[in-house]
Amino acid sequence: MSWRTIDRRTVPLDDLDPGLSAAVKEKIRSFFPRYPTRRAVLLPALHIAQDALGYISLRAMREIAELLEIPPSAVLDVVAFYTHFWTHPRGRKTIVLCRSLTCELMGGGRVREALEQRLGIGEHETTPDGQWSYMTEECLAACEHAPCLLIDEKLHKAVQVEDLDRILVDAENDRLDLPRSTLFDAPQET
Amino acid sequence: MPFERVLMRHVGVPNSTSLAVYKADDGYAGAARALKMTPDDLVEFVKKANLRGRGGAGFPAGVKWTFLPKDRTVTYLCVNADESEPPTFCNRVLIDSDPHMLLEGVLIAAYATRTTVAYIYMRGEFCAQFHILQRALDEAYAAGYFGRNILGSGYSLECYIHRGAGAYVCGEETGLIESLEGKRGWPRIKPPFPAIEGLFRKPTVVNNVETLACLPHILTRGVDWWLSIGTANSKGPKMYCISGPVNRPGCYEAPLGLSCRELIYGADFGGGMCDGKKVKAVFPGGLSMGALRGDMFPKPPDGKVDPRQDHDELDCILDFDDVRKYDLLGLGTAAAVVIPEDADLRDTLLNVTRFYSQESCGQCTQCREGTAWMQKIAERIRAGAGRPVDLDIIVEATRNMGMMPGLSICGLPDGAAWPIRTLIQKFRREFEQRIAAQAPGAAESLIRRTNAAAYELPVLHGRAVQPVGGTYATPVDVAPPP
Amino acid sequence: MPKIIIDGQTVECRSGIPVLQAALEAGLAVPHYCYHPGLSVVASCRLCLMEMKMRDPKTGQMDWAPKLFPSCQTPVRDGLEVRFCSDPVRDNQQHVMEYYLLNHPLDCPVCDKAGECYLQDYTEASGPATSRMVEDKTKNPKKDIGPHTLLYQDRCVLCSRCVRFCDEITGSGELAVVGRGSRCEIDVLPGQPLQNPLQGNVVDLCPVGALLDKDFLFKQRVWLLRSARSVSPADSRGQTIWIDYNEAGIHRIRPRYNEKVNEWWITDEARFGWKHVHRRDRLRQPRIRQGTALQPARWEELPALLRTWFSQPSPTVPNPIAAILSPMLTCEEAWLLAKFARSLAPQATLVLGHVPTVGQDQTYPKGFTIKAEKCPNRRGVETILQHLGGPTASFQEFLGQAVEGRFRAAYVTGGYPNAWVMDPIATALAKIPFLVVHDLFPSALDAVAAVQIPGSAWAEREGTFMNCDGLLQPFERALPPLEGVKADGQFFSELLGQPGLFRARTVRETMAAELPQFSEVFIPRDLPKHAH
Repeated sequence: MSWRTIDRRTVPLDDLDPGLSAAVKEKIRSFFPRYPTRRAVLLPALHIAQDALGYISLRAMREIAELLEIPPSAVLDVVAFYTHFWTHPRGRKTIVLCRSLTCELMGGGRVREALEQRLGIGEHETTPDGQWSYMTEECLAACEHAPCLLIDEKLHKAVQVEDLDRILVDAENDRLDLPRSTLFDAPQET
Repeated sequence: MPFERVLMRHVGVPNSTSLAVYKADDGYAGAARALKMTPDDLVEFVKKANLRGRGGAGFPAGVKWTFLPKDRTVTYLCVNADESEPPTFCNRVLIDSDPHMLLEGVLIAAYATRTTVAYIYMRGEFCAQFHILQRALDEAYAAGYFGRNILGSGYSLECYIHRGAGAYVCGEETGLIESLEGKRGWPRIKPPFPAIEGLFRKPTVVNNVETLACLPHILTRGVDWWLSIGTANSKGPKMYCISGPVNRPGCYEAPLGLSCRELIYGADFGGGMCDGKKVKAVFPGGLSMGALRGDMFPKPPDGKVDPRQDHDELDCILDFDDVRKYDLLGLGTAAAVVIPEDADLRDTLLNVTRFYSQESCGQCTQCREGTAWMQKIAERIRAGAGRPVDLDIIVEATRNMGMMPGLSICGLPDGAAWPIRTLIQKFRREFEQRIAAQAPGAAESLIRRTNAAAYELPVLHGRAVQPVGGTYATPVDVAPPP
Repeated sequence: MPKIIIDGQTVECRSGIPVLQAALEAGLAVPHYCYHPGLSVVASCRLCLMEMKMRDPKTGQMDWAPKLFPSCQTPVRDGLEVRFCSDPVRDNQQHVMEYYLLNHPLDCPVCDKAGECYLQDYTEASGPATSRMVEDKTKNPKKDIGPHTLLYQDRCVLCSRCVRFCDEITGSGELAVVGRGSRCEIDVLPGQPLQNPLQGNVVDLCPVGALLDKDFLFKQRVWLLRSARSVSPADSRGQTIWIDYNEAGIHRIRPRYNEKVNEWWITDEARFGWKHVHRRDRLRQPRIRQGTALQPARWEELPALLRTWFSQPSPTVPNPIAAILSPMLTCEEAWLLAKFARSLAPQATLVLGHVPTVGQDQTYPKGFTIKAEKCPNRRGVETILQHLGGPTASFQEFLGQAVEGRFRAAYVTGGYPNAWVMDPIATALAKIPFLVVHDLFPSALDAVAAVQIPGSAWAEREGTFMNCDGLLQPFERALPPLEGVKADGQFFSELLGQPGLFRARTVRETMAAELPQFSEVFIPRDLPKHAH
């Protein structure tokens, strides 16, 4: 075609991978008894898939669609609706910065600028060393500790610009100090 | 009699998330009592307590349960733990400190509605809270509070936690149901209401976390205790949140009927403003309920208020009724955020409009297009290129988005219209001053850069279009109309 | 039948339909995008809102409720009183139209939908003349989402009709709404394009120019087209269609609403099954064999020649004459040809021609069926043969007899869009000394035919098809026959020596005198513009 259009009919094979392992699929199947329809397992399945792959690849979407017996586009539909899911690869750790009204009043904007400068990336991008990705979220429901940010699962409270250095170098900055449930985690590969 | 905290009694208590600590404090006694009643008696009991939903709309929970069809065979209970209204965090505090209180509430509500499967829809950003609640749930299962034949009553209940993935609109009950079914969280058209046809097309009750957490206490302490707390139409304790530049931001439990001033300045609550600043504005019930003017605009000494003048509105009582006198949509989540006197309201406007534009689900036209338009206008005003007419456009847009009921499928556009409209109407003077202080011609030159076509249109004041040689040439300045 | 009051007028309507449908059926132009009677109701465009009378709980009086109701979601009930002509309703329409136009590009001059676009028409009726948005419009990319379909995302109004069509009617679910809020887009999963046998319908469903048919892209402005009521020859279901054409020929085919057959949809076979009409190798002149070659002849020579051959009795064979009535013929044409054969040779064998089939019938979740039988009038021809009685044979029997050399003369009609003369057919027909071939395209029969007569395509004829369920549906002529070609019906009536022009209706009336099935035809009512 002589004018610019995005081709949605074909997809390079490289853009498809990676797919889900047998163990991940088995874990997704273990959610089936919880719901009367297979489709309802979609959100849990996406959580598990994202934990396994870091993001939801096109192949993962197709495989989940096959598992849940729904059209593949229905998976894309849901993935794109929710901000939690990434459709391109992420870094090892993801920073979710709150930008709600309270956090902004308490200096969240400055933290965001400092973070972007420090990591040298914009929203939904990944640092060249593959360590960090970063995104913002509307409200993390921790307004009494504003401004706050999440690194993977751990909430960092009352973060000021000068705290960033300390937080980012801390090896434990993404570790929760309480017993975790592995319900929505990808199964450990042996 | 001093007020005794019940919902937050375990905040700060070591190991409070464990079943042992919870049981030591009369835990699951309410559920045990409930299971000895018939479900219908239990519904009547809760109806008598007039427990109004804590999620925002304030609908009585017991009455909601009676809407379920009598001849139903399957019922679902959905627990709305998708707390995403900024700046609300009481559900997080509650789950952090006392997950079993929620679970006991789930058990009671499920028994009252004859539910066999309950889903706790928890927002995806609650990570620690998910682990806490899942662990508590495992403990409760092991102790026989969930599963088959609970406490020998013959009643069985399965309870699952369903994690959301970041969408404000999934806090709307039908959006939540759609999301649970594995679809995008577009709210459903009503009727049919969820009580008739909800989750998986079966009768469904959706209750908020805090509402359910009240149930164990009503059962153990009785209806009279409950009715002795609060104001005429708003009974019981409530978890108030206060955040922003106050000395003690946090969540505080108080009888319904706290005034906004007390929440900010009370020694037991916000503890006053940081650095002795004055309050410019407060969003007292979560963003969506609208804004109040702060004490930066003092009332006249005689207390008589001229409605045409800006005046202090902090005396607003935060219960289900009084808020409406102050042009607020409702009590909402009773979570206040304070805007100090030195803040620029253009930032606030931008933040609020961006929030709704990001979170609009995209289904209804007014909400989808209107919120995005308002964000674009707010961005331009923030960039120092606003026009006085922009304020009128925003107010008009809020009116046709959500002022008249029925214009949209869910309440999100109403929730977007209220804060934006009250912000502009109550603080119009500040916006006008900011716009007047802009660099001359800033609006015109910015618009011309971003959208030359709009610039050429004659709607812009002070501009005329001169056709030269049959095509539009560069506009020339003409004198603005007097 | 419930009676409701719309704007003070009492309207009688079918029960169970929404108020919007009742209003549209009563001829009111209520603006709407997302509502479509064939799809589920989502009530998301918020353009069809109305006022409704309800009982005031305080006074107990019926009065206008202080809110608006979506008319697409409110079912009719007896005595319901609603209004669209009121200030709140019109205010809402104006505001919603303003919102729709905020980001809609002003590219009507290059948009295929211009002229039949809901957005254009509603804007003219109730929208603002200028936009108050001075910011830049949201620009979205064009997407190639399927073999037949292009998506111009920035024109999309997110009515989600196309998505619902793929979910509910075809059940294939290729399309999805991707994103949230004002960033919503229609899309497919990359690598899984919109590709199902009904995909063309999404283009008709689209109320604006977002989904476009690559086949029609930039071909014609719609106001330069005329439309003919036709019936698709693509399969035996008799899907009713509009042929959009002008002097340059056919440009596209759209579904014509038909509550008994295809409702609002047509198959892609029907939609794109007109290309053969404009094939370059169409036969354009009658030809007669002289020696080894077919030589051009004049139409006037043919009747006498055919009469001579068909009326000569054979000394050896009892029934040496056969007429093969193709299921592509209309009922009227089949009738005339059969009458012609029997008038000359009362024992002529009448044969139902080759019935092409492809695969199995395909039925979709909501009942839409694509027939395996790819011809429009098998049943009509069969009905006529049954009525006329006498010697008949199936096509296979006929071929078998022809191989044995039982026929001296045969009139073979074709008219199929695709090649149909396979080897066994050609071999068998080669044994017939005087073979008249009446067809659209050259074929293997050119080598053996004594007379070759150019046929005309269905769009160039008028007549009636009887569908597989026995429903008789007439259709109009859209195009004139090719230059130098006589329409089939005209030629057949000349063979029979009937004077004047062939009119299908006149022939049908004569048929009805003998065959009561032909006395009544079904013509679906035409819907007004934007009726769904």
